[in-house]
Parts: sequence; C-alpha cells; structure tokens
Amino acid sequence: MKRACAYVTLFLSALAGIPPAHAVTLTLQIRDTRGAAVEDAVVYLMSNQSHRMPVKNTTLRIDQVDKTFVPLVSVAQTGTRVSFPNKDNIRHHVYSFSSAKKFEIKLYADTPSQPVLFDKPGVVVMGCNIHDNMVAHLLLVDTPFFAQSDRQGNARIDGLPPGDYSLIAWYYMRPDKDAGEIPLSLKTDTTRTLTITTRNLE
Amino acid sequence: MKFLPFKTLQGRIFGFFFGLLLITQLGSILITSTIGYSIMGRMLGDELRSGKQVFMRLFEQNTAFLGQGARILAADYGFREAVGSNDADTIVSALDNHSARIKADLMLFIGRDGEVYQSAVKSRKNIDISGLRWLDPTQPPRDALALIERIDGQLYQLIAVPVTAPLPIGIVVAGFRIDATTAKDIGNITHTEVSFISHGNRSDWQINASTLPAPLAATLGQALNTNQIGEKTIDELQTQQGRYLGLRASLPSPDGQAAGVVLQKSLDRSLEPFYDLRNKLLILGAIGLILSALSSLAIARGISRPIKALAGFATKIAQGDYGEKPLIASTTEIAELSDAFDYMSREIASRETHILQLAYSDTLTGLPNRAMFHDRLQQAIIMTGRVGKPLTVMLMDLDHFKYVNDSLGHHIGDLLLKEVASRLKHTLQRESDTVARLGGDEFAILLPTADIPNARKVARALLSALEAPMTLDGQIIDVRGSIGMASSPQHGSDITALLRCADVAMYQAKRNSSGFAEYDTHYDHNTLERLSLMSELREAVEHNHLVLYYQPKVDLKTSLTYSVEALVRWVHPQRGLVPPDSFIPFAEQTGYIKAITNWVLNEGVKQCAAWKRDGIDVNISINISARDLMNADLPVYFAALLQEYGCPPERICLEITESAILDDPAHAMENLRRLEDIGCKLSIDDYGTGYSSLAYLKRLPVGELKIDRSFVMNMMNDPNDVIIVRSTIDLAHNLGLRVVAEGVENEAILNQLCKLGCDQAQGFLFSKAVSADDFTAWISTQLWRDQVKVACRI
Repeated sequence: MKRACAYVTLFLSALAGIPPAHAVTLTLQIRDTRGAAVEDAVVYLMSNQSHRMPVKNTTLRIDQVDKTFVPLVSVAQTGTRVSFPNKDNIRHHVYSFSSAKKFEIKLYADTPSQPVLFDKPGVVVMGCNIHDNMVAHLLLVDTPFFAQSDRQGNARIDGLPPGDYSLIAWYYMRPDKDAGEIPLSLKTDTTRTLTITTRNLE
Repeated sequence: MKFLPFKTLQGRIFGFFFGLLLITQLGSILITSTIGYSIMGRMLGDELRSGKQVFMRLFEQNTAFLGQGARILAADYGFREAVGSNDADTIVSALDNHSARIKADLMLFIGRDGEVYQSAVKSRKNIDISGLRWLDPTQPPRDALALIERIDGQLYQLIAVPVTAPLPIGIVVAGFRIDATTAKDIGNITHTEVSFISHGNRSDWQINASTLPAPLAATLGQALNTNQIGEKTIDELQTQQGRYLGLRASLPSPDGQAAGVVLQKSLDRSLEPFYDLRNKLLILGAIGLILSALSSLAIARGISRPIKALAGFATKIAQGDYGEKPLIASTTEIAELSDAFDYMSREIASRETHILQLAYSDTLTGLPNRAMFHDRLQQAIIMTGRVGKPLTVMLMDLDHFKYVNDSLGHHIGDLLLKEVASRLKHTLQRESDTVARLGGDEFAILLPTADIPNARKVARALLSALEAPMTLDGQIIDVRGSIGMASSPQHGSDITALLRCADVAMYQAKRNSSGFAEYDTHYDHNTLERLSLMSELREAVEHNHLVLYYQPKVDLKTSLTYSVEALVRWVHPQRGLVPPDSFIPFAEQTGYIKAITNWVLNEGVKQCAAWKRDGIDVNISINISARDLMNADLPVYFAALLQEYGCPPERICLEITESAILDDPAHAMENLRRLEDIGCKLSIDDYGTGYSSLAYLKRLPVGELKIDRSFVMNMMNDPNDVIIVRSTIDLAHNLGLRVVAEGVENEAILNQLCKLGCDQAQGFLFSKAVSADDFTAWISTQLWRDQVKVACRI
C-alpha cells in the first residue's frame, strides 16, 4: 500500500526582531506544492503546557444548510461542545463512527437541546444517515492555539506566549497522514509560508 | 442402334420427362436444403444475438440485484456502526443475514485496513479470496463495480460496493457463483447453450460452467484457444454432435483476466425440421420419379405403340397388303394419323388398281393389253397342260387400217379401233374368252377351251361382226380383218411359239384374203425349221440357189407381143424345188424379202437384157411386195440395174398388189412415182381381192391391171364373176389401163375373156412358169397363137 509521505515542509522565510515578553502572533501562508493557496487547512501549535490550558471557546456550531454541513471543516480544542442546528426544513440524522467521538443525533429538526461534547482529540468525520452526501470534518486538538486557513490560504494564531512550539498542519482531504511536527520557537510575531501536500503522490 | 434407348421415341419421351422431373426434384431439394441452411443460419444468428441481449439483460439484472443487496448492506446504519466499532461478530452476522436475503453465494466485507469479514452461510468453509487482491480497500470504488472473477477455482459474478461513514470505510462484495445450474437457468431463458469462460494472465481459456456436455465443452475450449470463436461474429463450430453456431460476449473482469460467455445453438438440431422436410421431399421426389417414370413410359408407349402399329401397317402397305388399319385406341392425333394412313392405303390401293389397269389394259379401247394377254395366255397354257383341253389363240389385224388412218385421220382411226374392240368383245360369248389389243390395229383373242373347229366358228362370228358397216363421225366405213389361229398344245406350248404361229396364220389369211386361217406346218414347220429356213434362204440368195421361172402372158388382140411374169423358185440342194408359198410369206415377215426382191430384179433385168441381145423381144413383169414398196432405195437400185445391164426400162413391168399400196398409200405413191419416172411400167396385181379402191386406182401411175385368178377361174361357174370381170375390164379400159387376166386354164375361159375384151391372158392354158431356156423353146413352138386365133377368132 502506498503510504504517501506526508511530509510537511516548512520554509522559514524571515525572522522579524526580538519577540517581546507579551503574546505574539503567528501568521502562516499555506500553499500546496504548486504554490496555490490552500483553504480549510488546519494548523495548530503544541507546547509542553498546551494540553493543560483551558478551553478557549467552549461551544462550536456546525449548521446543516441545504443538506450540507456548514462549515465543512472545523477545528476545536478538546472539551468543546458542538451544537448541530438544522437550518433545513427536513430532518437530519447526524452521526459519527470516528474513534475520537462516536455519537448520533437521531432524526431532529431545529437545534438539538444538548450540544455534543467532544472530549478526545482526533478527527471526527460526521455524516447524515439519511443524506449520504453530507459530510463534515472536525479536528479536535489538545491546544488552544489553532487556526484554519481562509480562501487566501492565510491562517493566524494570536495570543501566543513566546516559547517553543511544535507546528502541526492537517488537511481534511488527507486525514490519515502522520502530521509532521515542525519545531518552532516563537519570540515575536512571526509570518511564515507553509507548503503542504494536498494530494496523494503516486 | 436399337440399344441406344434415346434413339427411340419412347426412350426420348421417357428420358425427357424423367430427366426433367429428376432435375426439378433435385433442384427443389437442393434449394430447400440451401435455403434451409442459410435461413437457419441467419435465424440462429439472430437468435444468438437476441440470446446475447437477453443474457446481458439477465446479467445486468443479476448485477443490479446483487448490487442492491450489497448496497443495502453497505448503507445499513447498524452494519456501519459495527464496522465503525470494529465489531467483527456483528459484521459477519450482518453479512450472513444479507447474503441469505439475496441468496448470494459470496458476501464479504473488506475493511479499510484490509481485514476481510466473510459470510459463512453458504459455505462454512472460507473461500480463498486471494484473487480479490485487486480490490484496494483504501481506494474503494466510488460506485458499485460489477465483475466476473474466478475465485477459488469457481467463477463468480461479483459486485463491489463501497461502505461510507460517510467517508469510505470499506467494501462490501457480493457474488453469485456461476456454475452449471446458472448456465442451465440462463440457457432455458435464452434458448441457447451457455458456456461461461475465463482466462487469467497468459493462460488458456477455460470453460467454467456450461450447459454443454463435457466433450463438447472441451471442443469449445480448443476452439476458443485457437481463436475460432470471434467476439463480434457468429462462428460455426464442428463438434462430435454436429455443427454449432456460436457467439461470444465479453463480460467485465478485473485487469489481467478475461471472462466471457459463449452462446451456442446446434445448427443441426435447428436444421432438423429442414432435414425432415428434405427427407420427406426425397421420399416424395422418389415416389414422384417412379410415378413419372411409369406414366411417361405409359405415355411414351401410348405414342410409340400406335406408331409402331402404323409402321407395321405401312410396311404391309409397302408389301402390297392393303388390309384394315390397325385398331388403335389412342389420342386424337394418333387416331387422325391412323385414319390418314388408312386413307393413304386405300388411295394407294385404288391407284395401284388403276395403274394395274393402265399396265394391263389398253387405254384407248379398255381391252386388256399385251402384257395382260400374255399373263392370261400363260395361265391358259398352264391350265391346258393340266386339264388336257386345247386352247386357241387368234391374232387379228385390220386390213388397210393405215389407209383409214391416213385418209380419214387418227381420230377416226381411234374410233374405228374402239368400235372394233367393242364388237369383238360382244361377239365373244364365254366369260373365259379374252380379247386384247396388242397395239396398232392388232388384236388378239384367247379361247382357253376351244380347239380349232370351235375356234373357226368364233373366227367366223368375229369377222361377220365386223362386216356390218360402221358409222364413225358420220363416215361409213367398211372394215375387214384377217385372223390367224394357232392352238395349244398342237402348235406349241409357249406364248412366243403360239403367237408366232397365229401370226403366220394371220398373214396367210391376209395373203389369201380368206378372212381367217389356222396355222399349218405347211406354212411354217416349227421354230427351228424357220430358223434354219432363214439361214438356208440367205444361203440360197448368196449361192444362187434361187432361179427365175417365167410364165408367159399372151396378147389377145395381136397374139404377138411377148411378155412374161418372172416367178422365183428355190432349188434347194436337199429338198429340191421349194414352192414360193413356202418361203415368200416367211421372207415377207422377216424382211428378207428385200434381198430376194433385189435378187429377182437383178436376175430379171439381166435376163431381159440377155433376151434383148438374143433378139427375143420380151417384157418381164416382176412382183414387188408391200415391204419393197416402202423401201425408198428401191428406185435407185432398180435404175442402177437397168443401167448396168443396158435394159430399156419400158421392158420391165413392176407388179404391185393393191393391198401393198393401201397399207401406206403416201409412201407407196411416192415410190411408184419415182419408178414411173425411171420409165418402167407398173401393174396392179391380184385386183379385186382387196379394197379395189377406185379413188386410188384413178391416181395410181399404173398402166396395167391384173384381174385376180379367183374371179377368172370361176367365171364359167359363177355368172357374178363374169360380171365382175366384165365390169373390171370396162373400168380399166375406161381408165386407159390394159387388162391382164390370170388363171386362164382352158379355152372356154379364154374365149370368154376375148369376148369381154381382155387385153392379155396368163395361165396354164398357155404355159406354166418355166425356166428361161424352156421359155425360149416355148416361144419357138408358137402353139399359143393358134389357141388365141381360135378362141378370139382373130
């Protein structure tokens, strides 16, 4: 079997000054191997203390609009509760058999009364038992420092205490690839370009 | 030739019909077979193609059914949940459940990590699915994938369906095993032989499942491996069980493998109805051929048998057998032909009768002709020989017929002949008597049962029948005939001899003016004698055995003038003196008379000249026969003789019988003129016995007339003869002719003649015919003068 190497290449393009003692910002420009901007790529930073840090945003919402999960890709800190409001006038049956979180919300309309708590890190792929084409990807990370690239491929992580981190990138189209870790010592605001492989290399 | 059957009409008709039907039958059987084969081939092709469509449809239905079952499983929430929670028992039980539901032979799930869960319902034994390695669970097919795959030595129809949750988490594979039962089921629907085939990488085709019996399947396998069964074509395959038409279709299979199906139909089995039809046609054809053979034989014989019968009929006709036509029950045409043959036969018969009539009868008179007369005479001679009764033959010719013909025309001549024929015919009383016309004016009468005395009566009756004058085209004509009679066996026993005898007798009758005469050996002994007579006569002429005797004629007026009649005598070395009657008629018949006449003329003129030299003044009369008168050379010869001997022509008098002139007056007259021109005298001999035609007498250049001795000799007994003699003398004198009387035998006659004024007399009273020397002596006696002076009182 082809175990495509998921190597994430990180190019440090520039270093800008000595970081201050307060929080710093990491700005990443994510490109694929052809140099095109990659949207919905997730990047997060792990440090020694990161898994002990409190959950920043306790709730997340993944809507169902026009038989589509919105957003397609989400990232959240472990322990986040996610609500699944049904914006369609039909009912959905959201489920996940992912090991990070197995759950189902049987046929419902509107917003289910209880959000779902995702208490383990990992990838959760969710679908609708009624509508086979509906799929949503949720990455749960043990760190509050994460970001998701926008259409321009930019991702920004704010409020980072200066220190040493490991930078990990994840792309939903290649969910099983071992995320290579890029050690990163952040003292000041830093901007980097990150090139990831979005397709299997045959 | 007989052995060549097609030479006969029968053979040809038979051959034609039989051959025609044979060709037709063979043709129809051939066409039926060919068309059957081609139609069947096309039909089978169509059936195979539609079979293929049906098969494909079935295959798709099966696939869809399989796929449905697999998809139901793949979509089952519980199943996915079991997969998601790696609950192996649940997965297997779900597989069992669903495989039982769709009756799949194979159902398994391959997880994303490659683990395989297999239903164990159908077979407790796990199927070795190593062949399914091509399925990559990490890259499952997006939709159902239908394939034919060989797994564990068995062929399976497989469908692979992805399981998503919602991303792919594995593959459900469902399959039906393809075995003989499958093939059989499909075959029942497609109505074809069905064989599922496959081959792996670089391996030969295998037959995995087939409705064919094993040996045929093996044959098919060989054919596949030698590319005899194409993909797009309908191909024929020869097997142990006849011909099969086949069609191959490919089925989807994994890479590196191939699978397909071969649909086949037995051509021979499909052709069975045609074979059946062909066999029936063969039987029908054979029956038809036999029937046609029999019927064409019957027809042919129906035609040829009457034809043969007609041919036989025609052969009979050819042989002269004009029997009844053969009784033929046949077609109108043949019946018409038969009638035509019959008509022809009758016509031929009647024509033959007519031809026979023509051949055996005389067209002018309708009397039998010479040929028929000969036939009858021959019959009569045979009968005579058998019965012993004599027969008599008569020959008759008409006196002076030529004269009638020449002076009155052939038309009258013909009428005369007819009338004569009619009278002769009516005079004959017996049925068996035959009168025939032999030609010209010559008639023959056969009296098959009459001897000479009887025949004489008949002859008299015939002659008297002619005596009544005939009125022909307004002309009154007198006819006389002369009849010669000969009798068998007395005078001969063959036709030639009898007729010759009759002829001699007839001549005698004519010569004697006796009306009829029977043959007498006196005239003519027999044929051999005649022949020797002929040669002897020739010898006599050549060797001077003939002598001239002279009988004096005395002039009654002057008793001075000397003239003699020269008469020929034959001094035969053995027989002595032969009288002229014995050979002159014969010489006249044979034409030898010419030589004799020439001899006589020569001798007479020579003697005349001799006497003249001796001072004896004598005129010589010489007899000229009818034949001589027709001889144009006579005047020339005669003139030459006179010249040669220096004899004055007036010293010679030529005596001609009246009848000699009347036989052919034109020629006779011509010759007489020429003789007259020479200067000789001419005399009519035997006057009174013939026609005594005054018309001719008037025109003839004669100076003398001799009264026949019959009148003269009889004068003293018959006053009529005296009248005849007197009137003849008067007539002659009136015409300026001198009159000579023959047969003066006594003084009374002489006296009478003197009284009647006759000019000259000849007879025994004076002298018989004597030799020249004796005549000279006679003259010197002068005895006759006194006789004349006494009788005529000179």
